[in-house]
Amino acid sequence: MSDKDTKRYLPEGKYIMMGNVAMAEGALAAGLNFFGGYPITPSTEVIEHLAKRLPEVGGTCLQMEDELASINAVMGASLAGAKAMTATSGPGLSLMVETISMAANLEIPFVFCDVQRVGPGSHGPVTAPHHNDIGLVRFAGHGEFQVIALAPMNCQELFDLTITAFNFAETYRCPVFILSDAYLGHIHEPVYVPSKEEVIKRVIMRELPQDYSKIYSYKDNDTGAYVIPKPPIIGTDYYPPTALQLPHTTQGLPTSNILSFMEILIEKVKSNIDKISLTEEYRLEDADIVIIAYGLPVRASYRAVDEARDMGIKVGVFRLITVWPFPDEKVREVVENCKAIIIPELNYTGFIAEQVERVKKPETPMTKIPKVGVFHHPDDILNVIKEVSK
Amino acid sequence: MSDLGPRYPTEKPVQPYIQYSYGGYLYGKYNSLFCAGCGYGIIGHLFTRMFEDEKLDPKLYPLIIGVGCYTQIVTLAHYKAQKITTLHGRAPAVATGVKMANPNLKPIVFTGDGDCLGIGGNHFIHICRRNVDCTILIFNNSIYGMTGGQSAPTTLYGAKSTTTPYKVFEERSDAVKLALAAGATYIARTTVAHPRTFLKYFKKALNHKGTSVIEVITPCLTYFGSKNLDNLGAENLGLPGNKMDTGGKMIEWIKRNTIRKNQAKFMDDNELLNRYVIGEFRYDTSKPEYSEVYAKIQKVAMGDD
Ligand SMILES: Cc1ncc(C[n+]2csc(CCOP(=O)(O)OP(=O)(O)O)c2C)c(N)n1
Ligand code: SF4
Repeated sequence: MSDKDTKRYLPEGKYIMMGNVAMAEGALAAGLNFFGGYPITPSTEVIEHLAKRLPEVGGTCLQMEDELASINAVMGASLAGAKAMTATSGPGLSLMVETISMAANLEIPFVFCDVQRVGPGSHGPVTAPHHNDIGLVRFAGHGEFQVIALAPMNCQELFDLTITAFNFAETYRCPVFILSDAYLGHIHEPVYVPSKEEVIKRVIMRELPQDYSKIYSYKDNDTGAYVIPKPPIIGTDYYPPTALQLPHTTQGLPTSNILSFMEILIEKVKSNIDKISLTEEYRLEDADIVIIAYGLPVRASYRAVDEARDMGIKVGVFRLITVWPFPDEKVREVVENCKAIIIPELNYTGFIAEQVERVKKPETPMTKIPKVGVFHHPDDILNVIKEVSK
Repeated sequence: MSDLGPRYPTEKPVQPYIQYSYGGYLYGKYNSLFCAGCGYGIIGHLFTRMFEDEKLDPKLYPLIIGVGCYTQIVTLAHYKAQKITTLHGRAPAVATGVKMANPNLKPIVFTGDGDCLGIGGNHFIHICRRNVDCTILIFNNSIYGMTGGQSAPTTLYGAKSTTTPYKVFEERSDAVKLALAAGATYIARTTVAHPRTFLKYFKKALNHKGTSVIEVITPCLTYFGSKNLDNLGAENLGLPGNKMDTGGKMIEWIKRNTIRKNQAKFMDDNELLNRYVIGEFRYDTSKPEYSEVYAKIQKVAMGDD
């Protein structure tokens, strides 16, 4: 075992970690070799931590000249075989979307940490949370494609879900977002880091495939399944004979059948929604009232549910860990027979409320609890629970 | 034909490198999307020629291509070369990522005047500053060809374009001066009318460790040539100027309008207005290369030092 491998994995144990650091350590555990970034509050600790840690394990951490350069360098590094990531916040994300769509369409995988802050613009309470990018990441860029977005709710999950995010990126070859926020990024919490062997078991490594004949995702005409080969690596034999360009057939040859190209990019992810969609149910068994939440508001929701249950109100939480793609069927089942839905979101629009609206029965009442810049107190949610249970 | 005697071939000569170009390899014939008279065909073939003659290992020299008419050089470039077409202006940033993820590679970047000095100016400055080992070829046709003849940051003063119908009233930007100031370590300028010089510089760049920038002046007949007269660059002579409506006339104009570096030394700014100074401007092998410096940092971080 070489020295750099020992340094990559923290010794097993419990650590007190800042959210951004937990995310960075999760990425290292997942095999990160390249990070390109540009400082922006509240994500800066990610690049600061990796600037120290990545060279220790033989990786590269670059502070690029801007977000456009960061994301393009990340794309180039991923193309050259590195597991690559960047981290930013809303204004940086806005600059990056052109490249995100390019990478999605070329099926170049990478992980993207978005530590969300109050938007719009570049001023104001930038160290306060605002889940405003969740709408932007859903269709992050021109063209059509499907992304995966994960919403952790504590530092432990920032570590664990970052590993999951890298695995999703390798498997589905699409952009994978981790939707953190200014609070999550900056709080310090206990994080359990499993042993090196445990971590390695969890991680899907970047390797060359056995079969070099198919380079891009395609639809198997016999089974109707979408097959996703390993990502190509420039500088090896596993690279398309033409330029990597758009739109392309499975061998990378130019095609005019853009419709089926778009279909593949979207369905290769959506057809695997069972594996991608991570959710959590909390005291939902006999609940009349269902709270649907993701990210930070989940914490307040759990507490509010405990208190409401003590009062005899039958309420539970359905938590989305994977926010995009939205699991229509699962949510439809959950809200099928409930009497009321409550959706606490850290934004005014209610991006998830819009989705729930689509799948719920029209007569089921739905209450949104919007907040921006400050997080939900359990009482904010409890009051609404009491209100709707009357 | 036969009157001229046997010294002259009766058939069109076969371009010996066509079979190595991507289009030629696939279809067995010359295959390009450029306008007749465009300089990019020359560049594409010179590239393929270098690739074939030097037996460059395609797995070591990835081709990173920006957005512009020259993107279509993919059909003329060597069929074995591994190519990626990137976004408008971002090729230098992608090259940095590729190089740092696998320092054995030496990216070759194709970029245009608008691509490199306009939208991607920042990335260009910073790749030069870092001295990342790569070869950047900037194709300067003095116009945005792809989008239909708008003015570029390099469009000559007083020239016409679709977005400057009266005349260009801005100073043009100079890729060589920019690269010199930014810190690239091999910098040269040549034109498609000097193919041997181009090959010489290109070879030197491929053997140089560090950022090499070669600006290649190339004609855009369709948009620049058709809108402008060949007295550009000769304003001081007060000539009426002729139309540049064929590739040949544009090549003539480029030849006339370029001036060697050692001659330019004796000329003032006024005389050099709208002219292209060609030659080698810097060849510095002393500056450390970026990925090598970073490897040292890695060593320190790993505690091997
Ligand atoms: C972000 C973005 N903006 C604009 C364009 C449109 N566009 C494509 S090529 C081009 C100009 C390219 O000019 P240049 O680099 O000089 O190359 P040329 O076509 O002259 O060879 C522009 C503006 C684009 N593709 N992407
Ligand atoms: S528009 Fe100009 S640059 Fe583009 S192919 Fe035609 S001549 Fe060449």
